[in-house]
Amino acid sequence: MHNQNKISLMAHLVAGYPTQNLALKVADALIEGGASYLEIQLPFSDPSADGPVIQTACAKRLELGYSTQEGVDFIKKIHEKHPETPIFLMSYASLVYTPGIENFVTMFKEVGVKGFIIPDLPFDNDEGMRAACEKEGLTFVPVAAPSMSVDRIEKLLSYDFEFIYAALRAGITGSKTTIEKETLQFLNYFSKSPSKILGGFGIQNAEQAFQLKDFVHSIVAGSVFVKKIIQEYEKNPQDAEDKIVNATREKAKELSHTH
Amino acid sequence: MSDDGFFGRFGGKYVAEILRRPVDELEKAFNEATQNTKFLTELKLLQKNFIGRPTPLYFAENASRENGGAPIYIKMEGLAHTGAHKINNAVGQALLAKKMGKTRIIAETGAGQHGLATAAACAKLNLKCEIYMGEVDIRRQQPNVFAMEMYGAKVIAVKSGSKTLKDAINEAMRDWASNFADTHYLIGSALGPAPFPDIVRFFQSVIGQELEEQIQEQNLKVEALCACVGGGSNAIGFFSSFIEQKEIRLIGAEAGGLGPEPNHNAVRMSGTAAKDGIVHGYKSRFLLTEDGQIAQTRSISAGLDYPGIGPQLAALGSEARIEFTAITDKEALEALAFFAKYEGILFALESAHAGAIALKIAKETPKDKVVIINMSGRGDKDIFISSPVFRPNEWSVFLQSELDRLKEGLDIHDAKSLSSSPSKMES
Repeated sequence: MHNQNKISLMAHLVAGYPTQNLALKVADALIEGGASYLEIQLPFSDPSADGPVIQTACAKRLELGYSTQEGVDFIKKIHEKHPETPIFLMSYASLVYTPGIENFVTMFKEVGVKGFIIPDLPFDNDEGMRAACEKEGLTFVPVAAPSMSVDRIEKLLSYDFEFIYAALRAGITGSKTTIEKETLQFLNYFSKSPSKILGGFGIQNAEQAFQLKDFVHSIVAGSVFVKKIIQEYEKNPQDAEDKIVNATREKAKELSHTH
Repeated sequence: MSDDGFFGRFGGKYVAEILRRPVDELEKAFNEATQNTKFLTELKLLQKNFIGRPTPLYFAENASRENGGAPIYIKMEGLAHTGAHKINNAVGQALLAKKMGKTRIIAETGAGQHGLATAAACAKLNLKCEIYMGEVDIRRQQPNVFAMEMYGAKVIAVKSGSKTLKDAINEAMRDWASNFADTHYLIGSALGPAPFPDIVRFFQSVIGQELEEQIQEQNLKVEALCACVGGGSNAIGFFSSFIEQKEIRLIGAEAGGLGPEPNHNAVRMSGTAAKDGIVHGYKSRFLLTEDGQIAQTRSISAGLDYPGIGPQLAALGSEARIEFTAITDKEALEALAFFAKYEGILFALESAHAGAIALKIAKETPKDKVVIINMSGRGDKDIFISSPVFRPNEWSVFLQSELDRLKEGLDIHDAKSLSSSPSKMES
């Protein structure tokens, strides 16, 4: 299904960060660099399942103000330009629940979102999120973690999700991940299930991507991109555009191509 | 007790799976501990000897006379060790963590009272302690930072997000997700994902249990119990024994801040601004924007300056068992001055909100029934906030001269006096 020389990459970006226009260019760069999927995070003030890097990007964007409608507009533009790249929306329960779950799903369906990743909506108490997604032909992606008990992993598998997002480190996104035996053991639980595994949290380099590729449908990388964007933009916003575009494109290339 | 983590439509366990295991393990350990006689005996001893329980139920005779109407009583939680009710929960959870074999405690703190209580409990129980505190809060709550460090805690400055309480919560959650094998997250209020609201209420309910006995001993007929409500740990502990005694009114005082305009207060229950939401792992009433972003809140009292409210209190409020009222900064400061002047008792700014509503209710209540305030904390901690309000010039002169003295490296005996200031200092 995939080109043998290519690793399927889900690349993450924060909607509207650092600016709506520059973030659109980041999306282009990630796709040009080889991303097969985009995970677009709608900024929330208290992103409890994210590391400090993504939290900082979200907070900085929110300081300037960022509405859900701006997120909708952002995704619309990307989808129109790259209709072949599936877009998954990542955010938190508060932004999903407050406008009404069905309204939220419909708003993003209309601009081309394929699925939703909402880490603080547990798969077995999701406030109707999965049903709302499926009614619209979309997919709700639960987030699994290596610390889950076997019982809970089995419960998750019994729900037959199309995708499962596997958080490969016990902790939160952005810390250094070495691919250890335990991680691979955790991934083995899912190997027999029909669910497609998105494996993320902490992937920084080609070596990690290569080690993981046979165990997952797609690797996910996020904070490695966001960190570069923050570094360049906060240093010198006027001069950052080319640097950000180059850095994110090259990193996406590094992670998505075997050597 | 919650129904599988829910209180009516509020509560729940809305956490990412990375936190699910520690939360589930904690739930199991807590349920066992509350049935374990040895644990409960140890807890009782710590409550008596370390915390200094029971705290008195005190008749505020002068204040009652000046105010008119029903007699006012004060449950003196501010006399508990470290100066507030926070220690009840900190000691209880630290003991529970120890029984679970944890060696390290982490906690979030905003104003610093919970961090202080946690640091003291950890010193007492020989647990390693690290406190997450927003950089902004460290700046405005230096005295508590000093005390925490004296108790051996490490205070970690949180520089992400808005650098305040909610960011400290996020940072603590993150730490817990990575380190739960040896670490317990000691949450400070009756909120967060289940089982935390049940745990915190359990350890705070000692306030209500004592009060029930004291009411009987003193043979009082109670009209109303008044507590301030931020997250709500003092209120739920204070009210816990009386929820079924429907003849007693339960009154929650929220932070009315500067007034009713949006972002000028932290009114979740008595106004119309709040809505149902899911934040910080639980469903409750929150101050949110139309999109669901957390709205700005404002209060002179750091402990009430929070956009959400514990789920059990939200449930009791929505079924009208608890009556919520907003008390403005100004009313709270007036109550603070009133009790200080007539009773020689300095309320914490949080608790002064409860004092203010009690004064109003007592006036409308006949003399044969009493109104009881939970003074959740004493006001020593607030001097950097209340002193500039009540005596701005003197305070400014004091701070300036103290800074000069430190710069010059002078001993206090050799420093120049403050008497050149325009204040009416004692001579």
